[in-house]
Amino acid sequence: MSNQKKKHFQIEAFKHKVVMDPKYPDKTWKILEDAIHEIYNHNASGLSFEELYRNAYNMVLHKFGERLYSGLVATMTVHLKDIAQSIEAAQGGSFLEELNRKWNDHNKALQMIRDILMYMDRTYVPSARKTPVHELGLNLWRENVIYSSQIRTRLLNTLLELIHSERTGEVIDRGIMRNITKMLMDLGPSVYEHEFEKHFTNVSAEFYQVESQRFIECCDCGDYLKKAERRLNEEMDRVSHYLDPETEKKINKVVEEQMIENHMLRLIHMENSGLVNMLCDDKYEDLGRMYTLFRRVTDGLLKIREVMTSHIRESGKQLVTDPERLKDPVEFVQRLLDEKDKYDKIINLPFNNDKSFQNALNSSFEYFINLNPRSPEFISLFVDDKLRKGLKGVNEDDVEVTLDKVMMLFRYLQEKDVFEKYYKQHLAKRLLSGKTVSDDAERSLIVKLKTECGYQFTSKLEGMFTDMKTSQDTMQGFYASHPDLGDGPTLTVQVLTTGSWPTQSSITCNLPAEISALCEKFRSYYLGTHTGRRLSWQTNMGFADLKATFGKGQKHELNVSTYQMCVLMLFNNADKLSYKEIEQATEIPAPDLKRCLQSLALVKGRNVLRKEPMSKDVVEDDAFFVNDKFSSKLYKVKIGTVVAQKESEPEKQETRQRVEEDRKPQIEAAIVRIMKSRKQLDHNNLIAEVTKQLQSRFLANPTEVKKRIESLIERDFLERDDNDRKLYRYLA
Amino acid sequence: MIFADGITLLCNDIQVDPQDIVMLVLSWHMKAGTMCEFSKKEFTEGLQSLGIDSLDKFREKIPSMRSELKDEQKFREIYNFAFGWAKEKGQKSLALDTAIGMWQLLFAEKQWPLVDHWCQFLQARHNKAISRDTWSQLLEFAKTVSSNLSDYDAEGAWPYLIDEFVDYLKENGVNQHGQINDSSLN
Repeated sequence: MSNQKKKHFQIEAFKHKVVMDPKYPDKTWKILEDAIHEIYNHNASGLSFEELYRNAYNMVLHKFGERLYSGLVATMTVHLKDIAQSIEAAQGGSFLEELNRKWNDHNKALQMIRDILMYMDRTYVPSARKTPVHELGLNLWRENVIYSSQIRTRLLNTLLELIHSERTGEVIDRGIMRNITKMLMDLGPSVYEHEFEKHFTNVSAEFYQVESQRFIECCDCGDYLKKAERRLNEEMDRVSHYLDPETEKKINKVVEEQMIENHMLRLIHMENSGLVNMLCDDKYEDLGRMYTLFRRVTDGLLKIREVMTSHIRESGKQLVTDPERLKDPVEFVQRLLDEKDKYDKIINLPFNNDKSFQNALNSSFEYFINLNPRSPEFISLFVDDKLRKGLKGVNEDDVEVTLDKVMMLFRYLQEKDVFEKYYKQHLAKRLLSGKTVSDDAERSLIVKLKTECGYQFTSKLEGMFTDMKTSQDTMQGFYASHPDLGDGPTLTVQVLTTGSWPTQSSITCNLPAEISALCEKFRSYYLGTHTGRRLSWQTNMGFADLKATFGKGQKHELNVSTYQMCVLMLFNNADKLSYKEIEQATEIPAPDLKRCLQSLALVKGRNVLRKEPMSKDVVEDDAFFVNDKFSSKLYKVKIGTVVAQKESEPEKQETRQRVEEDRKPQIEAAIVRIMKSRKQLDHNNLIAEVTKQLQSRFLANPTEVKKRIESLIERDFLERDDNDRKLYRYLA
Repeated sequence: MIFADGITLLCNDIQVDPQDIVMLVLSWHMKAGTMCEFSKKEFTEGLQSLGIDSLDKFREKIPSMRSELKDEQKFREIYNFAFGWAKEKGQKSLALDTAIGMWQLLFAEKQWPLVDHWCQFLQARHNKAISRDTWSQLLEFAKTVSSNLSDYDAEGAWPYLIDEFVDYLKENGVNQHGQINDSSLN
């Protein structure tokens, strides 16, 4: 065994000192600097990428990053200053080209430089917090080239001039524009904006201000709008071709403001070509253009809507108050429908089905239709005309269309209960004279009214139809059980339930003997099966068909009213009758009798009677004869007048009075209903609630409601609160 | 039952004019059902509640009864009582002439400047009986609305008749002092 100390095997660090060549950084930098020169001089092909990279790498590794970086900055700056000079020297049109070319060159160079210096970019730059190479290159370009005093303004002016000439119709090089603007964008977000965009918008504003002023002096509205539209399209085109997309909304705003917003009212109100003219002449294209353009600016559509609304209201008001128009109710309503159609089309097409316009149209119609208190009556007369003859032969779908249009007008009415009253009267006449074009159409309209207003509105109307049907069955039963009556006059009776039909005062007259006997037979027959009922003959509502033979043997069938029948039958037993004799025999009330005799003796083509003297009016001393010379081309002559017509002044007053009377119990019912559920309510709220509840039938007059409230207080349905006199309480 | 003759005698004894408004106050205390008559019950209980057991005491009580009219609350009660008292038995409303007479009596005390115009208006435009609601609301109107109508509220739930009265006044140009300018009303 040995006692030797064990020696550890040691490896010592390499202590060989490497002494750096003191010129190393300068030498290496020189290589790189030269390389940069070559790159800028388009001589990069002769360079070795690997060698340069390695040199840069080594510099950074040996802690000469600083030197490298500052060298880079200096070198690039020198080059860029040269470049700036050569750009400045460029003349006229080649200025932009030169700038563009040098920019491209710079980018290529920068790319290569960055590749070479990539190691520095990744290590030295971040740790020393320096700007990375690429960005540095852009910044230096910006500082030395773009911001150069000679270039800066010239660049801007050149760009603006080119745009201006393009606006005035010249063709420019869009490619270069695109490149330049892209360059600005690449140089930083605010560069594009400050060096170009904000000036661009200002100059454009001035341009368009001048142009719009010029146009508005010499163009009409339609033309102006076309021009404005064209300019807007041009700008959009411009942006898409050579500007930053973000600029679009800014330039749009400028054009919209200058060309549209500043002249909005002037355009709308332009004489002979403004909005109102466009509406009147159905200028769809112009209207559509106005809509699309004005939509872009604040309140643009609002202004259009306002003017449209006031125009519709004004012309509607004129329509409904023009006495000429009011002479023919059917025409009047047709005009209303035509107006509605016209504006529906306008709103549908050029106005893009805009709901706010639709609403404005509706409120305008509601406004002026209700200006004329006869509107409900006229609409009912229109319906009457359609159902009586207007819809004859029309197919089912078209009938529905017409009825729907009527319903649309109906909805605008505030006094729907007035309409109901007239509709009932007119329907009664149609049913009783058998003059309805289509049962289906009648029923269809009732269904529509029911949908709109509820069951109560139409229950009585439906009752009328039921009565007609029932009467048919009754007549069948009558004739079945009286076979002996086959030879005599044919009687047709309609039994009307009093509550359902419009109230008439029943004035009877003396019927001819053969008829009254028949009527009695019917009465006993009917009461035999319906005990406890009372029948009263409504002789002012019936009609008859008479076969007549005149002096020269001419035979005719005369369709007359019951009254007229009574008068004519008298002449079976006498050749001459005085007014007084007729009056006595028939007991027809004087005003009705006079009208009746007028229609028999004084209407050309229907004068089956002759009157002496031949004066225009029927007076007490007149005498009547059968007109032996009566002739008509038709075999069947219609003389009866049971057609619904526009009411005379006194009739109108009477109807309105009845409507007012009918409203009172409805108001009271509403008050009681509301108070019962609320137990107590203050005055104003009560009036508001009542009005709301009755809205679907008529517009409640607050004074009338107040009177009803007082009446209810008087009858102990309500009381005032002791402490608050405006509060009402329900008394159970 | 004491009827009109008896009342005349009574008035003689207490030295009060039968038309004097204090008779109304007395009736109110007695809770009399109808004017110009007192039932035995009404009379005796009324006097009892007033603490009157002799003619002298009665006469002494008169001034204090009169002064009750100056009390707001009591005046209102008396006023509203007057409606039921003055109207015909079995009628719901008060005949116009009676109402006018009562108003003139009551408002002579209360000094409502428009009372004459009101009566004229009713005779010219209304000519029908007065409902209880109108009667009681009139007092409120007289108390709360100034006589130049500057604070009249059209939405104030006043009875319709009062609204019409206001229109009538405006039509006829009531000036600030409540004088009507229309001379045709004489």
